[in-house]
Amino acid sequence: MPKSSAAIAGIGSTPIWFRGESAPQTMLELIGKAVMAAVADAGITLDDVDGLAFFASGFDTALLIETLALKNVTFSHCVSSMGSGLAGMLDLAAMGVETGRAKNIVCIGGMQQVGRRLGQVLGSFGTTPDNVFQRIAGLNGPGQAMALQARRHMHQFGTRREAFGEVVINSRINASTRERAFRRKPLSMDEYLASPMLADPLCRLDFCLETDGALAFVVQAAERAQDGPQSPVYIAGGAQVGTAEWGRAFFGFQQDADAFVSAGGVPVAKRLYERTGIGPADIDVALVYDHFSPLVVMALEDFGFCKRGEGGPFVESGAIRMGGSIPVNPHGGNLSDAYVVGMTHIYEAVEQMRGTAVNQVAGAKTALITGGPAPTPMTAAILTNQA
Amino acid sequence: MTRVSICPDFSTLEVAMDAWSEPFWSAGAEGRVLMPRCTACGTFRWPAGPFCPQCRAQPVAWVSPGQARIYSFTILPMPGADKDAPPRWRLPTLVQFDEAPGIRLVSVLIDADVDAVAFGDPVTIEWRPGANAPVPVFRTAA
Repeated sequence: MPKSSAAIAGIGSTPIWFRGESAPQTMLELIGKAVMAAVADAGITLDDVDGLAFFASGFDTALLIETLALKNVTFSHCVSSMGSGLAGMLDLAAMGVETGRAKNIVCIGGMQQVGRRLGQVLGSFGTTPDNVFQRIAGLNGPGQAMALQARRHMHQFGTRREAFGEVVINSRINASTRERAFRRKPLSMDEYLASPMLADPLCRLDFCLETDGALAFVVQAAERAQDGPQSPVYIAGGAQVGTAEWGRAFFGFQQDADAFVSAGGVPVAKRLYERTGIGPADIDVALVYDHFSPLVVMALEDFGFCKRGEGGPFVESGAIRMGGSIPVNPHGGNLSDAYVVGMTHIYEAVEQMRGTAVNQVAGAKTALITGGPAPTPMTAAILTNQA
Repeated sequence: MTRVSICPDFSTLEVAMDAWSEPFWSAGAEGRVLMPRCTACGTFRWPAGPFCPQCRAQPVAWVSPGQARIYSFTILPMPGADKDAPPRWRLPTLVQFDEAPGIRLVSVLIDADVDAVAFGDPVTIEWRPGANAPVPVFRTAA
């Protein structure tokens, strides 16, 4: 593993609310509060913040700079994709501090659905030459589109609904010990299988939560972070790869046969492992983007924890549980803890590396964070507590 | 009870098209399915657009893509007009073509036995009235 040049020195989060209930706070107010919490955690002040890194999650950065009265922002940059860009934001911030463009770059992201819901927004654009076919088909939300991939995966590999159920049940077990998690009630496989179908083979429980909140992470040069109040969590590396076949994310349907039954992570996994010299066998805990449970099965294949097509039996073996070969989403993930476009996955990865997580993976030294899939580029990152 | 998929009403759907996709819709007005193939290298291109994904050349010829077959699908329960209305299902379906490798078309499979849809099944493509252009739908081939 090459020496890390950047580290996460502080983390902050607002409380998390059910969809819409964060009003009358605005999105900028939520993000502002998260930034203040992260800055305090890192032992710096808002006047020290000279950089912002983010992904396309829907807020006006210029107004944020105004709202927080920042005076000298020398780095303000966005990864051009949505949930898939999540981990790339850390890569971007690492570049910023490595090159001296800024000293204290805050990575920010939030979600607020007051009035209208993200899935509906994605499906409510007027007809364009680009979306007219998905409108004719009736694929008005991401879960409906990804149901086509999930069904194909079941057809090609014999993947069972029980595998998707295991992803949900694992998330629920992990969330059960966390006070702030939104879905903590134990769930049996029979209950899962009886859940109403929303986009067969996806049932209601395969869809993630819809919650409001904001989170922020202070990234500094590694040496600088070592002087802060927290144990630094190093960014071992990040990777970002855009490919034509994911230009329309899950609404494209033109991927080659292998990519169609994937979570779009194969190219970015390859690049991430090459850049870091870390492989799937070296990862101690995986924060896998779980907006829809079948995509976790596919992402585990993409990132090399099992072979293509073996994700179903792999998760059904118990591999992703605490104590399994690769614990996945010990916080309960987007499915059971909270959904803030995956920002909570970064927060959990940092807590795992600090050794302070509610469901701590004993002795964990490396954490994988995956984005998306959503519009390309796909991104992923590895954090470590080893200097 | 056999579950049968709906044929949605497209009469108010405004079909948006541009210079590159317009030939698809004009062929549809004649009841034909044509897809764009690069005249330089022969690669099919979908969605229709200005450059070949293989060689980046611009010109295309619109040709018949051959038999359409089911590649994947999902089953959407449709909300009824009221709570006592009988359940209905919409079948978003993705097809690929025997003679147009590398591209797929998505629409709805109509009047199908929801529990008998199978991967690889051949479908015919029919055109239904839209607001400004006929809309393609799939029907299981007899």
